[in-house]
Amino acid sequence: MEITVKVKRCNPQGNADCKPSWQSYDIKAEVGMSVLEVLLDVIAGVDPSLVCRRSCRSAICGSCAMKINGRPLLACDTQIIEEYEKAGRIELEPLDNHRVIKDLAVFQEPPWDEFDKIIPYLNEKDKDVAMTAEDEHAIDASQKCIMCGSCNSVCNALEMEKNYLGPAALAKAWRFVGDVREGKKEKRLDRLSQEHGIWDCVRCVHCTEYCPKDVAPLSAIERLRDKAMAYGIDDNHGAKHSTAMVDSIRRVGRLDEAAMTFKTLGLLRSIGMIPFGMKMEMHGKMPHPVVLPAIDGIDEVRKIMDKREEEKKKEELD
Amino acid sequence: MSLKFAYYPGCASKEITRESSDTTLKVAPLLDIELKEMPKANCCGAGLLKDYDYKLHLAMNARIFAEAEGMGLDIMTICSTCLMVMSTANSELKNDEKLLAETNELLGEAGLTYKGTIDIKHFLWVVMKEVGAEKLKGLVKRPLKGIRLASFYGCHTLRPSSVLGFDDPLNPTSMEEITAALGAESVDYDGRTKCCGFQADLVTEEVALAMTAKRLLSAKDSGAHSVVTPCPFCHINLDSYQSKAERVAGRKIDIPVLHFTQALGIALGLSSKDMGLDRHMVPLQDLLDSI
Amino acid sequence: MVFHDVLIIGGGLAGLRAAIEASKNGLNVAVISKVYPVRSHSVAAQGGINAALKSNDNWEDHAYDTVKGSDYLGDQDAIEIMCKEAPEDIRELERMGAVFSRDADGDIAQRPFGGAGFPRTCYLADRTGHGLLHLMFEQIRKYEVTVYPEWFVTDLIVEDNIARGAIALEMLTGRFHRLHAGALIMATGGYGRVFGITTNALTNTGDGMGLALRAGAPLMDMEFVQFHPTTLKRTGILITEAARGEGGYLLNSKGERFMKSYAPNAMELASRDVVSRAEQTEINEGRDINGCVYLDLRHLGREKILERLPQIRDISISFAGVDPIEEPIPIRPGMHYSMGGIMTDKDGKTPVEGLFAAGESACVSVHGANRLGGNSLLETIVFGRRAGQSVTEYCSGSKVAAFPKSALQDATRKAAMIFERDAGVKSSELLERVNSAMMECCGVFRTEEKMKEGLDRVRAVREDLPKVTLTDKGNVFNMELAGVYELEHIVDLAESILLGAIHRKESRGSHTRLEYPKRDDKDWMKHTLIYKDGPEMRIDHKDVTVTRFEPKERKY
Repeated sequence: MEITVKVKRCNPQGNADCKPSWQSYDIKAEVGMSVLEVLLDVIAGVDPSLVCRRSCRSAICGSCAMKINGRPLLACDTQIIEEYEKAGRIELEPLDNHRVIKDLAVFQEPPWDEFDKIIPYLNEKDKDVAMTAEDEHAIDASQKCIMCGSCNSVCNALEMEKNYLGPAALAKAWRFVGDVREGKKEKRLDRLSQEHGIWDCVRCVHCTEYCPKDVAPLSAIERLRDKAMAYGIDDNHGAKHSTAMVDSIRRVGRLDEAAMTFKTLGLLRSIGMIPFGMKMEMHGKMPHPVVLPAIDGIDEVRKIMDKREEEKKKEELD
Repeated sequence: MSLKFAYYPGCASKEITRESSDTTLKVAPLLDIELKEMPKANCCGAGLLKDYDYKLHLAMNARIFAEAEGMGLDIMTICSTCLMVMSTANSELKNDEKLLAETNELLGEAGLTYKGTIDIKHFLWVVMKEVGAEKLKGLVKRPLKGIRLASFYGCHTLRPSSVLGFDDPLNPTSMEEITAALGAESVDYDGRTKCCGFQADLVTEEVALAMTAKRLLSAKDSGAHSVVTPCPFCHINLDSYQSKAERVAGRKIDIPVLHFTQALGIALGLSSKDMGLDRHMVPLQDLLDSI
Repeated sequence: MVFHDVLIIGGGLAGLRAAIEASKNGLNVAVISKVYPVRSHSVAAQGGINAALKSNDNWEDHAYDTVKGSDYLGDQDAIEIMCKEAPEDIRELERMGAVFSRDADGDIAQRPFGGAGFPRTCYLADRTGHGLLHLMFEQIRKYEVTVYPEWFVTDLIVEDNIARGAIALEMLTGRFHRLHAGALIMATGGYGRVFGITTNALTNTGDGMGLALRAGAPLMDMEFVQFHPTTLKRTGILITEAARGEGGYLLNSKGERFMKSYAPNAMELASRDVVSRAEQTEINEGRDINGCVYLDLRHLGREKILERLPQIRDISISFAGVDPIEEPIPIRPGMHYSMGGIMTDKDGKTPVEGLFAAGESACVSVHGANRLGGNSLLETIVFGRRAGQSVTEYCSGSKVAAFPKSALQDATRKAAMIFERDAGVKSSELLERVNSAMMECCGVFRTEEKMKEGLDRVRAVREDLPKVTLTDKGNVFNMELAGVYELEHIVDLAESILLGAIHRKESRGSHTRLEYPKRDDKDWMKHTLIYKDGPEMRIDHKDVTVTRFEPKERKY
């Protein structure tokens, strides 16, 4: 099958700003060929100056992540004919949210100091702890990460805030926090709860959606938040917001926006919102805590919550 | 044949975005959909409860499902975040017997059980899949002729697709298909399937507002007359916080934002008052006048 | 100029394990790698790592299986060390944070592997290499090892038989750098890309073996090339031996489990050379399915496949369009592993002072004429650690040799010459010529005539090397330029494989000569050494060390 492959090329040669341009290659694809195989044919036969990283060809080294028809994929793990038939085109671009080195190669991995922020190795407990199959299961998904950068490339929070640790690093962080053998969980969670850590995530679910290895970084972030609060690390807007939601559910069974704003931001910042609140009020959009009635059966809600709180007290933190 | 659901508007649409639920209750009968209220239903936790305590999150969601199960009905919601939170919880409970048993132990405290028999659907899906664009077209009284709409899907309408699976998370089409059935045009733009920033409003406000502004501007610059969204939380950011977003962007944006339900309502002939259009922060009058 | 006590070339398992050990011992250690460390090909090792952990297993049995697997060419003193130290290394990996799959009792689970008399292969689902490589990567951050990622070593600096450092090309900028070092450890892995179809990564071009050969160190047993029994036809992508370890069948076109004619006891779990020869015979005799035989997993059932072999299922679906739950996978023998490599002793030392080697790029030799599955990861860990230890002793006992002034200039001048050539031939064309020569002339079954033809073809490519030109004349990330250096190594290695194979007039392990179908212990219980200390390569020999297992006929 004859297919035109379009590649977004950029050759900065040391210049910071580089205007990318599209180049087309007409190729012959056979059934079973991956996008990477086609690129290798182009490089070997037509244009050896085209750059894309590649190594294992079997979706485990993480080198060849790129944007294929608008979303991140491993080029070696994408059948070109299938993709072409689905999308009607083959357009290859470097990953978003990463600076381009040349053509399809980007600065794929975090710089060392960024990487070190999550303390990227196990800190053994003093005593030997044997791992069970269940313990293994708890961190299984986060261990599958191949550092391809796909999740970071689609992360909406990273798009806006470059200092955010990002889903890849946080999935890795959970690999340690979730490990029964780890001895410094609290220290880790404390660090991760600081600015641009776990609470920067906007829950856009892009990371989990596009991860080629089912790492589910969002679940890792949710678990880190859960654990951080269980350790009582809650002196931040994110944890306060979450706790305020829980309080609101206990009180009225549902979301009490006004109370949540107050509890999350504190008195002073809430007062700062008054002029805006008055504007909302004019459109009937200002929530009124005093008139918000509880749902039917609020007692049930409270009983369940009490029971769970009791259970939690018994769950040992380590 | 009439469709029947346990109706879960979500907390936002009971208060701040009440207009969307009000509209739904008026639109549904026109589409032969019967909605039964869920007086006991609690908040799904919007993910924040999951952050706080995963098991409590499952239990509180299961309490909602148990009520619907008791009514013998699937749940229909008009909130994308409720959809995503409830659907993922439901899928986890249905696929993990142990988790379901643990959750039922908590529910048992309040004399409840969840058997794992119900499904959760968004109003958008019901309109697309069960009413259908063809039938909808036939019901339109006031076609949205000459209006260009920018569909803003909302993250939780589409992802994770492994659980929601209704529309393609990369190139969704349902909103555009409905837009076309209502007689309006659609624009394509960069922010269509991205995040509005809502979940960060109270945590990292500046980031959230910058995100809101970026999405609105890309819609505006694509030539849309209005944004339309199936998610009430997106609506809060895109409409209620638009003036704040303008401050962060340093630029006037001024684009009205319709609830998906209101786009239906307008085309099906509801009045502005029926749909609470006066409750919007960004005025809609010019848009309505141009139809 | 930068100086490191130890410069480790290669960021796979052996290199990183050596780095950790040397760094723990207080040395200033740097790892230089042409790919970011987690991209190294160790990451793709699927099946597992062997160790006699259970109370009803013991290291002597592991050693016996390894010696038998090696067709008695492995050095038994080295094999004893590897098997004896394996259990402690596994426990240490666990303390570092490795997450091995567990059995019902909560112990490290172990699965059966080919050629082993006991299920002693530890694993992490079917991504053991991935788990261990990322673990090593974590540990080098812990021990603050310097890393030069995506730096390509173009020259080893050895004068008066003493290693002094290296010259490397920084891919990001195109700049050449001098790296002065007290000692060097080569850990660059295998040379799979000498062959056209291989399970190896695109980056496995045997650079370290080529560099060491040129620096005066001998390569040993290069004629022993492992053909893995289960690789996908067109791409050579690997299906792990664990698929047979978990109970998979091999079937010919008649639906027969043909291994019963070749290894009636071990069946599909005979050693790799035996199974590959059996498959190739079935294919040559017409009982094939389009040049393949079938690997059938269907009887294992959906649940077991999903739990134990999830990656294999993904690979089969993605790369062969076959879901092993529903259909058998068409497979055939494919180039997989290099038993040969840079000759070292038990501590990673080569005959060049200060030059060490470990892992697949080295030949200790623990694999002899055929490696057992699960022993390659083990070799990287045991001998990586030992190299790290012995380099520490070396560094404390010798003074640092000076770095020659002209080395950098020589390297940049060579690159400039390549850049300046206008007309000529693309390196990809030359690579293709070597690849096809090796595929056609040096496969599972070998003959004098074909191998000599292969040698002529490879030597003809060597003649053309000075004509290589570049399309990409830029400095930033010039992979084409790096490809020229890789090609030079590939030509050297292809020639040394062919020379060794033509020279060895017997059949042993993976080396099968149609004219000499029998093993010949009288004349050939010896290692082949290849030197390139002059214009021509020359061949020499070294005796095999036998300690407790006298050679006897192999039966599976």
